[in-house]
Amino acid sequence: MSEEYSLSLKDFESSFRPTWCPGCGNFSQWRAIRQALIDLEIPQEEVVLVSGIGCSSHMPNFLKVYGLQTLHGRGIPVATGIRLANPKLTVIVYGGDGDIYGIGGNHFLHACRRNVDIITIVSNNYVYGLTTGQASATTPVGTITKTTPRGSIENPLNPISVALSAGATFVARGFSGDLKHLKWIIKEAIDHRGFAYVDVLSPCITFNKNQTFNYFRQKVYKVEDTGHDTENFSGAMDLGSQIFIKDKIPIGIFYQIENKTTYEERDFALNQGIIPAQASLDLTEEQIKIITEEFY
Amino acid sequence: MKKDIAVRFVGSAGDGLVSLGLLFGKILKMHNYNVLGFRSYQSVIRGGYNSYQIRFSQSEVLTVGEDADIIVLLNKHVAKLHQPLVNPNAMVIYDDEFIDLDEFDYPKNIVKLGIPLAAITKKISKLKVLKNIVGFGAISHLLGLDVGLIKEVILEQFGKKGEEVIFTNYDALEKGIKFAEEKSWLPMWEKHKYGKARQMIISGNEAIALGMLSAGLKFYSGYPMTPATSIVHYLTKHLPKLGMIVKQTEDEIAAIGMAIGASYCGARAATGTSGGGFSLMTELVGMAGIEEIPLVVINSQRAGPSTGMATKTEQADLFQVYGASQGEFPKVIIAPSTVEDAFNVGVEAVEIAEKYQVVVIVLLDLYLSEMNATVRKLNMERNNMRFNILENPDENYRRYEITETGISKRTIPGTKNGMFFTGSSERTETGTSIASTLAGLPDTLPIRVEMVKKRMRKLDCLVKELDPPKLVGPKDAEITLVSWGSTINIVKEAILHLEEEGIQASHLHLKYLTPFHVDEVEKILTNAKRTMIIEQNFTGQLRDFIRMKTGVFIEQKLLRWDGEPLVTSQIVMKVKEVMKNE
Repeated sequence: MSEEYSLSLKDFESSFRPTWCPGCGNFSQWRAIRQALIDLEIPQEEVVLVSGIGCSSHMPNFLKVYGLQTLHGRGIPVATGIRLANPKLTVIVYGGDGDIYGIGGNHFLHACRRNVDIITIVSNNYVYGLTTGQASATTPVGTITKTTPRGSIENPLNPISVALSAGATFVARGFSGDLKHLKWIIKEAIDHRGFAYVDVLSPCITFNKNQTFNYFRQKVYKVEDTGHDTENFSGAMDLGSQIFIKDKIPIGIFYQIENKTTYEERDFALNQGIIPAQASLDLTEEQIKIITEEFY
Repeated sequence: MKKDIAVRFVGSAGDGLVSLGLLFGKILKMHNYNVLGFRSYQSVIRGGYNSYQIRFSQSEVLTVGEDADIIVLLNKHVAKLHQPLVNPNAMVIYDDEFIDLDEFDYPKNIVKLGIPLAAITKKISKLKVLKNIVGFGAISHLLGLDVGLIKEVILEQFGKKGEEVIFTNYDALEKGIKFAEEKSWLPMWEKHKYGKARQMIISGNEAIALGMLSAGLKFYSGYPMTPATSIVHYLTKHLPKLGMIVKQTEDEIAAIGMAIGASYCGARAATGTSGGGFSLMTELVGMAGIEEIPLVVINSQRAGPSTGMATKTEQADLFQVYGASQGEFPKVIIAPSTVEDAFNVGVEAVEIAEKYQVVVIVLLDLYLSEMNATVRKLNMERNNMRFNILENPDENYRRYEITETGISKRTIPGTKNGMFFTGSSERTETGTSIASTLAGLPDTLPIRVEMVKKRMRKLDCLVKELDPPKLVGPKDAEITLVSWGSTINIVKEAILHLEEEGIQASHLHLKYLTPFHVDEVEKILTNAKRTMIIEQNFTGQLRDFIRMKTGVFIEQKLLRWDGEPLVTSQIVMKVKEVMKNE
């Protein structure tokens, strides 16, 4: 496919302009995703971007690929079905912390252990934006929001540790304020064989006055600069646990292993190279014989 | 001589009742009998009180019957529990070294057929379940069955387990026959020359699975829930040969979500559950509706509400599925009636879903899902076509183009120039959401109006394609019985009984609930002398539904909601009562 690949950022833009607040962290992800796809020379028609509900989940509106916005929290199962029906496609799930860690948390857990080769990018802004500012699963204790006017009394979820424990084979964190680094992570995630998960620190400039661009800029450091071994599970768990505990927040690829079989490789049909979405609809005589034998 | 016989095996979970019933069914069908079997069971894995009743005849078998002619008691515990259900003229087969029927006050006129099953079995093998085969031997003597044919079935069923297993089973069978002969048990039916038959015996769930497979099903996802689970079991068993995906998911939301994803991607997809799981799926039913993604959802109803009675039947989810998901969108609801019909609906549901890009809900119930019936040849060799998929879209392609039929052609991911956005929000013809920055603008209002009309038009088109319901029986019948779903043959049998008693009844059975043949149903009912609804629920959901759709009120009702399938005599009695009271 590389000989004629000439798609630009513009080609991946839909005619509908993003509706996010000016300065929203989602903009750089909008760009990073397109750049990563172009760098990997993936044709538009082979990309399916699936989202849920929330500000970030509007993403598929603004990209010229196959875009499918589902319901709140349900991007992962729908994307899984798409990928299993046609494993030739690049299937990306995109959503927010409310969407994927909150209401869709169950699906997130099972996607990690299932290791279907899809990419899940979570725009994590520590708050519910589209519903005008309520606490989310990642909101730190003590944070004042519309539903926690006396400060949040719940401990936040640590999604990195959760993903690692659940068996994700690619776990990373990017920062909306570092486009180049974010693009590199997303590219690696798309290239990864198996379930790839990227948490993105993405400030909500309207409803979150705590986790701002400045806040993150002062704290983030890149794990690749520290000589972190991405195949070291306990090292990755240690990095994952650092957020809100230490002054520094690590970003980069925390964990990546390529030696774990994917769901596709274990599945009977997919392992034989069958693409269910394109397979013949008619049962063969032999198939009919086999599936009805037990009834005689 | 009786023209049909009903045999009931009574035991506990773990006694192998289901395999016993199925094996017996296969033996009978090999003798060219028509067979219908149904298991009554509890939600326990070991112990408890279960039964499997099987009825067979050379003519059509409509129900499993009420009283069993032959009762086989598999242990002492159930012998006691079963006492109130024993037909006073039944033959009762039991192990008389362990069970004393007098202890439980069994009716005086029953024919007691004691046989030391355990003792005979012990002489043959250590395997206790073999006593079932010894019992078969005894029954086959009573029914005049052909030993050669029984052995053929045993060979087919246990052939893979090796010669020793086969011969032990043969031995058990022969010992059973010999015992019955020596005790001079009086056969109910004479031995005769049997024509060997090659028909299938199959459950409702297996039939619908076969139907969907024949129509090109390529993706099925589900989360275990009685009574829908056996669909996944069946598909999974044959997975390596089918070249499709069968997926057990983390919950029912994921099950429907994955099926929607696969279908969006071009694979014919379905999911299945019971009412509880359907509750979880509901929100995504609406999403598939507005995104116009083809989908088949099977809801095999069981007694509710909530967990209700997990192993008992009911027809009380009609309003649940009719009202499923917020807002208005086209939704198709089909209720298959028999095992054979379940196969046909399997084919039809998959095709309608793709052709009209709608959600098709199939309302089965536990009774139909789990009954085993002999069926005529099912047409599985098909030349399937794809519907309304665009392979070479041009630059003007609009995914949600407003059309006369309401159907717009769709592209499948991977298709060049076919990219489009779709979301769960209302949209323009190209797919752009009108729920955010376009919402409420003067230009947007007509788009919304037209989009709703476009989607709803699909049902107007579809209803013309479906066979309208017909009145079966004389036009001037004294009473018209109205039913839906799995009760069809129970009503049919009742009508035959009524006829014998000189009462003419006709039958209106409904299969397509949405879209609904309003005019046809209204005409039939307004022309009827008397009408009576027959349903397995408390409130009379179909009765209310018909009134809502046609304005016609069905005066009489026969409702049953105790979890057991309706029986013929109930209907006959109710009809006679209604006629008498006038």
